[in-house]
Amino acid sequence: MVVTHACPGSDNDALTGDLIERFREGQTRGWFRRQVFIAFIVSITGGIRRHWPHFSYAIVATVLTWFFSDAPALRHVPGRLHWRDLPWPWSQLAFELSRPALLALAALSILAAGLVVERSFRWISLLRTEVFSLALITFGHYSIDLFPWLLRPVPGDQNHKFLIVPVIVPIVLSFFVFLVSAWLGCVSSSRHTDEFRRRPANP
Amino acid sequence: MSRRSYLGEMELMVLLAVMRLGDEAYGVPISKELLILAGREVALGSIYAALDRLGEKGFVSSSLGDPTPERGGRAKRYFNVTPTGVRALKMTRAALTNLWSGIPLLEGKRL
Repeated sequence: MVVTHACPGSDNDALTGDLIERFREGQTRGWFRRQVFIAFIVSITGGIRRHWPHFSYAIVATVLTWFFSDAPALRHVPGRLHWRDLPWPWSQLAFELSRPALLALAALSILAAGLVVERSFRWISLLRTEVFSLALITFGHYSIDLFPWLLRPVPGDQNHKFLIVPVIVPIVLSFFVFLVSAWLGCVSSSRHTDEFRRRPANP
Repeated sequence: MSRRSYLGEMELMVLLAVMRLGDEAYGVPISKELLILAGREVALGSIYAALDRLGEKGFVSSSLGDPTPERGGRAKRYFNVTPTGVRALKMTRAALTNLWSGIPLLEGKRL
């Protein structure tokens, strides 16, 4: 099943057939498993190579939102949005998510640059990526309450809770949130790029 | 040579193997050709990745054969070198020959 989805392009069936053919020629199970593992790794690296603007955006957006959200320059952003004057839930969204949203917006410049290099730039792709990023960040932020067993009250402050999972877990989840957002946002651009890539260099 | 027409080492070897095999170039014979002639045991996944990159560059074209029972009902994908691929091979050989020449150590002369 792994190899059926592992091969780059549309060669999954051919690769599976080749592996079966070699296996029936007398190769060992260990050889077969090694080949499947290598095909899986090659497929992942090929995916990163093909979609490097999406990965770049996901990495930069994750680093920015996790390590620069509390930067002094951004502390006054919710105040400038007059979050206290907004009706609920906009006040809460403005207070809690304005900084991540702004940082994700900044990270879009990386995606834009990548799409320009890949000749698949479209404004709509950036807009969709930002919308998907915001929607998924919001969903992730508030869905934490669905897992109360993962939350513990901060000692001396019953109003605030902290996650008991290792900090790397939400960071990795954030990375995948941004990656999925970029992928969903740029679906048509990716198709355009794939078509461009498959076109002969000198027809 | 434009950026898109560069050949990496693996791409070069796979492209040459495809050319040698002619109409019988699919994953299994290509891997055997690389093992016999280049002494490299290359995973089939890596060969398909190289063929995918060569396809993107327009250096190979491919077509599907008929599914066969010994392959679990899977069809073979046959590869052919395109005229662009042949041009790229010639350019790469010329570039490598130029780089190779004039190096006494590689020509068996004493330093």
